[in-house]
Formats: sequence, structure tokens, C-alpha cells
Amino acid sequence: MAPLEPYTYIQCPCSDFSPLGQPADASSPTSAEEEEEEHTFDPRAPRSNFGLYPLEYLLYCEDCHQIRCPRCVAEEIVTYYCPSCLFEVPSSNLKSEGNRCTRSCFQCPICIGPLSVTSLESAPPDPNLLSPDQGGIPHTTYCLTCSYCNWSSTEIGIRFDKPNSIHAQLAKIRNGGETRLTAKERKERRKELSSHRGGGHAAAVAAAAAAAAASEEAEVVDLETQFANLKSFYNRQLADPNASENSLSTLGDLGFSSPSSLSRIMNLYTGGRLNDTRTKSRLGIMREAYTPSEGLLVANLDESDAIAKLHQTTLEDTSSMDQLMAQPPNLGEPQLHGEACFASSLRPIPYLLRTKRSKRCPVCRHIISKPEAKIQNTRFRIRLVAGSYMPSISIKRLSLPGANGSSSSLVAGDFLEPFKPVHFVLTFKNPIFEPLKVTLGTPAKTPGRFPSKVTVLCPTFDIDANTDVWDEALKDNDRESSVRNTDGSGSSSRRQRAGTVGESGQFQVEAGKVWGRGRNWVSIVVEVVPASLQLRNKDDVLKEDEDILEIPMFVRIEWEVEGGGDDDVSGQSAAGRSGAGTGEQKEKRELAYWCVLGLGRIKQ
Amino acid sequence: MSSKRHSILPPVSSSGPKAPVSFSSSITIADSAILTGTSLITISSESVVHPRAKLDSLAGRVTIGRRCVVHERTTLGAIGTTGKVTEHAVTLGDYVTVEVGASIEAGNTIIGEGTTVGVACKIGAGAVIGKNCTLTPHSEIAAGETIPDNTVVYSNGLRRPDRRGVADLRNKGQTRQIDVLRRMIPSNPAKFTA
Repeated sequence: MAPLEPYTYIQCPCSDFSPLGQPADASSPTSAEEEEEEHTFDPRAPRSNFGLYPLEYLLYCEDCHQIRCPRCVAEEIVTYYCPSCLFEVPSSNLKSEGNRCTRSCFQCPICIGPLSVTSLESAPPDPNLLSPDQGGIPHTTYCLTCSYCNWSSTEIGIRFDKPNSIHAQLAKIRNGGETRLTAKERKERRKELSSHRGGGHAAAVAAAAAAAAASEEAEVVDLETQFANLKSFYNRQLADPNASENSLSTLGDLGFSSPSSLSRIMNLYTGGRLNDTRTKSRLGIMREAYTPSEGLLVANLDESDAIAKLHQTTLEDTSSMDQLMAQPPNLGEPQLHGEACFASSLRPIPYLLRTKRSKRCPVCRHIISKPEAKIQNTRFRIRLVAGSYMPSISIKRLSLPGANGSSSSLVAGDFLEPFKPVHFVLTFKNPIFEPLKVTLGTPAKTPGRFPSKVTVLCPTFDIDANTDVWDEALKDNDRESSVRNTDGSGSSSRRQRAGTVGESGQFQVEAGKVWGRGRNWVSIVVEVVPASLQLRNKDDVLKEDEDILEIPMFVRIEWEVEGGGDDDVSGQSAAGRSGAGTGEQKEKRELAYWCVLGLGRIKQ
Repeated sequence: MSSKRHSILPPVSSSGPKAPVSFSSSITIADSAILTGTSLITISSESVVHPRAKLDSLAGRVTIGRRCVVHERTTLGAIGTTGKVTEHAVTLGDYVTVEVGASIEAGNTIIGEGTTVGVACKIGAGAVIGKNCTLTPHSEIAAGETIPDNTVVYSNGLRRPDRRGVADLRNKGQTRQIDVLRRMIPSNPAKFTA
């Protein structure tokens, strides 16, 4: 089993049911502490799976002074864009044209690679044609090709006349190259038909209807066409005043074919355009569609063609479930009984649009993350990441030279020996410009079936402010001399070891003192005695990752802010000054949360 | 050179015996290509062998057809896991491209005319690959397998027929590429024939 890299996960308060979920109240820290003691956070509880995040995943609301995780922020869509051409799609287009790119961006239906438009010479290629200086070929056609799996739209018989606006061209071409009526053309044809009807001559109407039916029967009806036909048929039925003359009007209010229920259904689709008083008041029964032009679709249960084709093909020629799922809906899709089951009937997939989203705090509605609206720009206007508000915790295994013989070769990810005390150095780094007071709390034994003993040697300490690096550098000279004077051991100027030098000249860990300290960081030592993974009963099995030694740790940080514009600690945003008090007096702030330290795997 | 080397292993170029070769006069072969082995290595007219390509004829003859391009760090005639000694180790047809880092194992392996072997592909011993096939990068062909003509091997071993019918165009592109490569790569066949 691979050794484990130590990790720190932080629990977002949104997954907790304790008073931690509310903004921390500085006035009553003790009561919160007492309540906390009643239930120790268990990192292995099923609920914890959804509340633990690395620090990098977390955001921070400056107004609520709370951690916000990806699960508890409210998202808003800033822009829609095509991931292939990076073109921003206005949301009005989205409603009319759907959530796919309507330019020339397509994915391969076989392997989802990007397709590119290539020209096809209609004339048979002769050796000179490849030279770049020929452009005067009268009729050039284009096709979409995939450079990865070598799929080409000529395989499904689709060629284009011009290299741009492929989407519009594709909508008019059926697989195999036959043209297909678009919704607009169909409407025009119908208008022609209704103008005939308006003439009132019954014979002429019948003839026109028959002609239209014959022409549309010749065309294969796909799902989109059928829906459009049905929709226009019902619209006509609703608008037709003759329908009410029907003698069966007493039964009219029942069933799907009653105009009242139908108009209600149509209203759902059309958004209330039909909701005029005329249709509402009218009662009467309506007939169902009975020609293909009205949307009647006779189920084609004769599948012998498909079966015969299957006999000639191999499994690789049929389309997989993934390929079918990726197909765009309603774009020339065959009717329900003839769904594409061969790879040769798949069509190019227009790219699905993507979004850029801003994130808001769910409590105070302030924006905590907002990307730049321009697609090409990957920067953020506002991004309040938790890493610039709370200390980061890094874990390192401590090997004391000379403490035990083999410890010098220890690596961070090594297995932990049961019952053998190990020390870990936790380094807390302060990102804010105020000194922090940190209080740590851990249970004496880790929760779970194999309780390991945990001792934090220095549970309370202060971290200096994250001052300007240059201030520090300028101050460094004085400080270095002072360090030399007090300690005289010649250790690095930034580091002051709190461990005392033992009799044999090695460092020893001492309780109550920090292990190391620097400009804006403090490291402390945690002693752990790993439990043995011996199972009591033979039937028990070790669950997945139960051998990982995880310590739940409650971290409380306190700091003071000056009343005034001190809130923009990260320098990223000037927003959120509401937390600032009046005048110049200092205001106390605190933040408390659970985190989990994963230290390593216990040896089995 | 020796002062730069930190490895204790002998340089790759000097490992193994020097192979007997039969070159066409119009080939382009880089100075730092590695030709080792005991059997004959044949390279037909206008083919290009890039620097650091390794042709190994220990397990049998290596034959490269006309207008082939063998890229850097490829191994033709590798013993590998399945390679075995036969009379003909690897045979490339005409217009074959073997891209960077591909490995073709020895044992009567045949690559058909106009086939492209993608980056870091692995072809097992005795595999027979048809004409105008495309092996996408990191494809693996098991030993002894037969790939029919015009096949595309993609996405971890999926296969589909290539119906574009652009073999002629591809071969023309290859010819033009060879024209460029011939100017880019300083050729030194004398090093191997001598």
C-alpha cells in the first residue's frame, strides 16, 4: 500500500449542527467550548465525508466571518460561453437556440474529439492539386473531420457548401445528404396550405392537403418534425371555430382531447400565448391527428431492416450508450421507433456551453467570488479564499537525531509503528496582518475502533502578524544580533528552537513551548502513540482507510482588528467594511473550526 | 563528451555489435541514429531516420521500405517482452511513419504500406498491421495480432475503419515532409556503411 502524504482537511461549519454554524460570538467563548466538548468531531462519521475540505477549496465571507465551502455557497451564472471558440453567448440566445454552440464548433460523435472543417475537392485529386497556390476550383465542398479517430462527416453522407455557419447547414441536412425541412420552412409550407383553406373551396383544400401529405410522407419524420406538426395541429384545432359544432360536446370536458385540458397543456408549452378568452370560453371536442402532416406517427414495428443490417455488421459498428447520450437531442433525431443504434447514424455534436459563475454567501448575500466577465480572462474580480484569512497547517514528521537509532531515515509518508510514540511538527502560518492567538484542542484518544493517544505539547500560542517582507528584512539585522546574544547556538536567525539541548547535545521536545517560530509562523509538536490494528474478533475486517491515523483538532484563532478600514486584510477587496467598529478602538475577532490532520498509515 | 557524462553505463550508441547494412543512395540517416545487431538492416530509397532512432537487428532482419519516416527514440526490432528471434524481425512497407518513442518488437512484425504508428505506441512481436492504418498515440497492439487495412486504433484499443480514402493525399504529404526533413537532418550514411 502506498504510504500516505500527510494532509489537513478543514470542516466547513455548514455541515455541522452545533452552534458553530452561526457566526462566532466573542463574548461567550467558554460556553461554546463546553458545548463542543459534548461531541468530539469524528472524521470517520459518514457525515464528515461531505464537510471536510482542503484549505484551498474553501472561501471566506468577510461579513459573516465564516468559512464557506463549495457546498454552502449560492452560485450565479455570469456568462455562458462555448469552450471551443470561447464565444460568449447572450442569455437571450440561450432561450431560443438552446445550450449548444451554434457556430461551427462540433465534437466527434465517435470519440468526442474536436472536429475541424476541411475542404474536399470534388474533382478527383491529381498530383498538382496539393500545391497551395490553387484556389480557383469552382465547386469545393467541406466536411467535418476528427484528427484523432479519423472520422469524417462524409461517412454519414454530410457535406457542406461553405466552411462557415456549419450549425445552420447541418440542421438542414439529414444523414445521407438529403435535405431536411427546418422549422421555418415547414411553417411557410403550412401557411401556403392554410391560405388554400382560407379560399373556402373544399375540393381545393382537400387536394392541397393531400399533396402536402404526400410530400411530407416522402420525407422521413424525425422527432422534431413530429413535435412541430403536432403542435401546429393542436393550435389549429384550438383556433378552429368549426370544432365546436361537433355533436359529442357533452363528453368534451373529459380526457386528453378536451379543449380545456388541451389548452391548459398548450399554455405550459407556449407560455400563455393562447390564453385568450376566446379559446377558454369555447367548449367542444377536438379530433386527434390522423395524417403525418398533423403529427400522426405510425409506429414502425418492422425492424427487419435493422436486424438484417446487424447481421452484416460487427459490434463495433453499433453505437455505444455513451455515444448515444452525447448526441444532441431533437436535431434530426429519428423517430422513437427507429433510434440510432449504428455508429454510422450518429451526427456531429455541437459543443455544450459552459458557464462562469460567481458565488455568494448564503447568509448575507455578499459576493465572495466573482470571475472576470470576459471569457478570455481567467482572473477574478473578487475572490475571498479562506487561505488568506485563516492559518494554514502543514505537517512534518519530526525525527529527533539520536532519540532512536533508525529515526534519521524517516520520511514523512512512512508507516507508523503501533505503540511507538512519534512526533509531528505542525506549522501554523499566519496570513493576516494582525498577530493571532491560537488555541488547539484534540481528544486524548482518536475516535474510532483503534484509539490512538494524542498529546498536543503546546496547545496555546501566538503567531506574529504577516508583516511586510521588506520590513522584516530591514529589521533583521537587529534581531539577528539579539538572537545570537540570547541563544548563542548559531542556529538560523529566523528560527528559535524552544526545545532544550539535552545532555548528549540533541534537541528534546518540551511540553508547553513552541518548537519553532518565525516571522509569521509557529510550529508546535504533537506526540502520537498509534494504536495497534489488532482486531478483537476474527470476523471483523479492517475497513477501507481505517489504518490511517486521523486526528480531529479544534482550532480557535483570535485576533484584534482596529475599528476602521482594516478588513481588507488580503488586499483583494475593499468590500465588507460593515464589520468595522466605530472609532479607533480595537475589536476582538475569533474564528473556530474543526479540522482533521491525517498523519499516516499505521503498520499492520 | 566524456566529461559531461555522469552515468556509469556505457553509452547506448556503442552497445551491441555494429550491424551490416544495405542502404539506398537516396536515404537520409542522422549521424546519431543507432544501428546495432547481427542481421542485415535494409533501408530503401528516400526514407528518413531521425537522430537517436534505434534499429536493432539482433533478432533478425530489419527492413524499411521506401519513403518511410522513423522518428526519434523509436525502437525497431526491440526484444521487449514478446520479441523473439526470426529471420525477419521487423518489416516496414512503403510510406510508413513511426512516430516518436514508438516501439516495434522483433519477430516477423509487418507494418503495411501507408500506416502511421503514433507516438509511444507498442507493437508486439509478430503483429501484422494492414495498409493505411492509423495507430493513435499510446496504442498497444498485442503480439501476433492482425489489423486489417484502413483501420484506426484509438482510445485504448477501440477500432474503426477509416473511410476517408485519403491514402493518396497522405502519401503525397509524406513525400513533401521528406523533402523538408532531408534539408533539416544532416545525413551521414557513411558512418554505418563503413
